[in-house]
Amino acid sequence: MINNFLINYPVLSAIFICFISISIYQLAANLQQKWLSIWLNPMLITILILVPVLVLLDINYQQYSQATYVLNMMLEPAIVALGYPLYQQFRQIRFHWREIISILALGVVVVISISFFMAIILIKAPEIAIALSLKSVTTPIGITLTDQLTGDSSITAFAIMLAGLFGGLLGPTWLNFIGVTSSKAQGLAVGSASHVIGTAVLVRISAEHGAYSSVALIISALLTALISPWLVPLLQQVLI
Amino acid sequence: MTNLFYTLFAISISLLLGKLANYLLAGLPASLYGMIFYAVFLQLNWLSADRVAVTNQWLIRHMGVCFVPAAIGIINHFQLLQQHGLALVGIIFSTTFILITFIGLLSERFLIKSVTETSDMRADND
Repeated sequence: MINNFLINYPVLSAIFICFISISIYQLAANLQQKWLSIWLNPMLITILILVPVLVLLDINYQQYSQATYVLNMMLEPAIVALGYPLYQQFRQIRFHWREIISILALGVVVVISISFFMAIILIKAPEIAIALSLKSVTTPIGITLTDQLTGDSSITAFAIMLAGLFGGLLGPTWLNFIGVTSSKAQGLAVGSASHVIGTAVLVRISAEHGAYSSVALIISALLTALISPWLVPLLQQVLI
Repeated sequence: MTNLFYTLFAISISLLLGKLANYLLAGLPASLYGMIFYAVFLQLNWLSADRVAVTNQWLIRHMGVCFVPAAIGIINHFQLLQQHGLALVGIIFSTTFILITFIGLLSERFLIKSVTETSDMRADND
């Protein structure tokens, strides 16, 4: 019955499915704002609610993807909007931009290589390896890069969310344990690995933590976009 | 209201230039070129940061909903999650902490030390 509705009334069903997706996401975002819990991550809650609903209604991913085409179209302008926080951070990094860029670039090379290697050894699927190697950047850029490198962007979106939760929840405690205690170093470390989710946690510790975390998330994303198009094919040639 | 249209116009122009740069140079995705154009125009004061601030912050706060369709794609991977779920989570967990440790230690060693040394030198000169 639902499938007939989707086929016969494509515009109406697209509006309905977009409305449901946005409502669940917004509800989760409001809950997170109210309870300030990292586990109420809007993306996580939306997946946990929406996936069973779609399975129950027998709506497959292709139908869902077509219906939410408008949301997908908004991805590009959303990425451009990230230029504003990048502009805001120019002043923050201008005194030691060489050190910051060098450290983050090394981190990008290390994380892409290790993730790709581990995924090829353990899962043996190149499209999953590409998706996992691009999981340490903010979602819009991770998805765009994965699509560009013919990886599986749905795995990237899932992996980015988990990387954010792991780093945001345990990152600061782990860094204190290994003796990394300065707010700049903690901010750069968590921001580069756990992007927006990690930054949201660090902002609550101190403003300097938050500022350096957002510097790391933006610069790491740019560096990943510059490095991955040649590093990933190179790893594919060597390891596959 | 005019600031809303100003921001949307600024983002659209940056994205269009990004598409042109992507067409001419390839390399980065068009949206990333657009992001760089947008940041540079703001830095050069060709675009007013004050006028885009409110709408831009609203866009960033709500942009997460645009990634829901991509994330729901996990629906196609139930079999993969059943077969390799543990390996998948293990890889994500371990590589996230390798990266956090790597960046944390390097920053503490090279960035913080250099900042401290610079401020010590400034203090000595004073």
